[in-house]
Amino acid sequence: MNEEPASRSLSRRTLLKRVIQGLGVTFALGHVIPRVMAEAGGVSKNEADHLIVHVARPLDAETPVQEFVSYLTPNSRFFVRSHFGPPPAEPLSDPNWRLSVSGLVDRPLTFTLQDLKQFEEVTLTAVVQCSGNGRVFHRPKVPGVQWERGAVGNAQWAGVRLRDVLAQAGMQTKGRHVQFQGADRPVVATVPLFIRSIPLEKALHPDTILAYEMNGRPLPLLHGAPLRVITPGWMADSCTKWLTDITVQAEEAKGYYMQTAYRVPTTPVEQGIAARGQSIPVEAMVVKSLIAAPQEGETLKSGPVSIQGVAWGGEVKVAKVEVSLDEGKTWETARLVGEDHPYAWRQWQLVWKAKTAGTFTILCRATDDHGQTQSKTSPWNPSGYLWNGWDRVTITVAA
Amino acid sequence: MTISGHSRAFLLMISLVGLAGVTAAQKEDLGVISAAPALRAEGLIIARCSVCHSADLIAQQRLPRARWEATVEKMEHWGAEISNDEADLLVRYLSARYHPGAPDQLPPLDSEFRKAEPLAQEPVAEGPLTGVAARGAGIFEHNCQACHGAMAIGGMGPKLVKTPILKHEELFLEMVLHGRGAMPAWSSVLSPQDIADIHAWLVTR
Repeated sequence: MNEEPASRSLSRRTLLKRVIQGLGVTFALGHVIPRVMAEAGGVSKNEADHLIVHVARPLDAETPVQEFVSYLTPNSRFFVRSHFGPPPAEPLSDPNWRLSVSGLVDRPLTFTLQDLKQFEEVTLTAVVQCSGNGRVFHRPKVPGVQWERGAVGNAQWAGVRLRDVLAQAGMQTKGRHVQFQGADRPVVATVPLFIRSIPLEKALHPDTILAYEMNGRPLPLLHGAPLRVITPGWMADSCTKWLTDITVQAEEAKGYYMQTAYRVPTTPVEQGIAARGQSIPVEAMVVKSLIAAPQEGETLKSGPVSIQGVAWGGEVKVAKVEVSLDEGKTWETARLVGEDHPYAWRQWQLVWKAKTAGTFTILCRATDDHGQTQSKTSPWNPSGYLWNGWDRVTITVAA
Repeated sequence: MTISGHSRAFLLMISLVGLAGVTAAQKEDLGVISAAPALRAEGLIIARCSVCHSADLIAQQRLPRARWEATVEKMEHWGAEISNDEADLLVRYLSARYHPGAPDQLPPLDSEFRKAEPLAQEPVAEGPLTGVAARGAGIFEHNCQACHGAMAIGGMGPKLVKTPILKHEELFLEMVLHGRGAMPAWSSVLSPQDIADIHAWLVTR
């Protein structure tokens, strides 16, 4: 992998670049920020220039889906999302950073990264996906970052079990939720902090880890260095980055990001009406698939075409992927190929014999082991979470 | 072209954009807004909203008026420094330009309008400006501190104390007026005199 190494040197370089630019020509009129300038918070061009930037600051950027022909999503091409952008690199660097474990525990503890590495290391491959991935497809439209298809990726994560860390601190029986807080902070102090919690069952699951490596490299700054939560099979709102504080408590986390955002209605809501009834936090992923090749708008020669992509079911295995070339009237089963691990995505392929010239729409849908199949569209919800409608790519076969 | 000519063209542009793909339910969102308040609203977005997030987050939304109202209210609640009148103006502008029927790709606000629009404060003076450090401290606190930190020691944005660009006042003025990278353009919010005052204060730091 060829991503940039440490973020500390990057921020120094970015600063230098700013100074040089400051003495050069001024920038074009207006406030449109080109994607390469997404440099606030130490984000350099190299870290984001393979991504589609939706918000320049704080950086929100997705992966072009053609990257998903690769089983693992490289760090430099993995989608980036946070509410406040990365914290300054210095407090996160090795001599300064600490993880605190407190709340309903017998022994509140503080760990350095080296301390944490004394626990047994766990390596697993898991999909991480933004809860708002596909938000742009909801109708009526909903507010939020208008993610299309690529706010998702599949990476190998290495770290230690959250339950081992909690056991050392001594969980008290009243503890029912584990709260996470990272080092990222809003620009304005009146904005609520990004504080989240997961229920005890998920926190104590042996596959829930505190990860310090991503695809064999130290966690990059944009992805939560030096430590982030990975809740395999759950949406990324539980995967707190830049983790500094774990608190065991009796209740779910309070505050906007747990009690208002990242929730879906328990009963279907009328389209376009803001939810008022009961809601539950966004947790497990729902079965979903994407077409990575051919690409949207591509022109192909007639003959055999390899249609390929990925499919995932979160905590549930993918059982089947199907492809339709007639707007969903008939479906043909694709072949599941490549590696097969829990929580990771599954690659799939289908060879289509393109015989006639014209424009064609390729659809795909996946079914998981529990029999859940993707529908044409997802249930509407006011914040546009958990989109898993059929994926769709339109191509042209040349005469 | 005169300013009023621009205003008419702008009004027409927003109206035409509004007519594309409109349903009856969406019609009420399409309040027409003329050039002057639109530019004031754009200035507010730069000065008040993009303290926390770049304006691209706003431009990608397509929302009915009620959801714009709720969003602006949420931002006020979270600390956006906007008066009630400014909030009303923002809701009017946002629901006119970024309504559910608006196309994905909106034409950019013509940069000519920005040039034609007189600054909120005094017009550009001839010759070098003399900054007043005492005024600059207050202007900095209100407009710059959220990103560049109290006393300009840096925050989400770079530290400004002793930054090399301070030695080049003309470049400093240009950069603040027109923005660069993550730094938004301030020409519709700060006058050259304001910027000179901020500069005068920064060099004392």
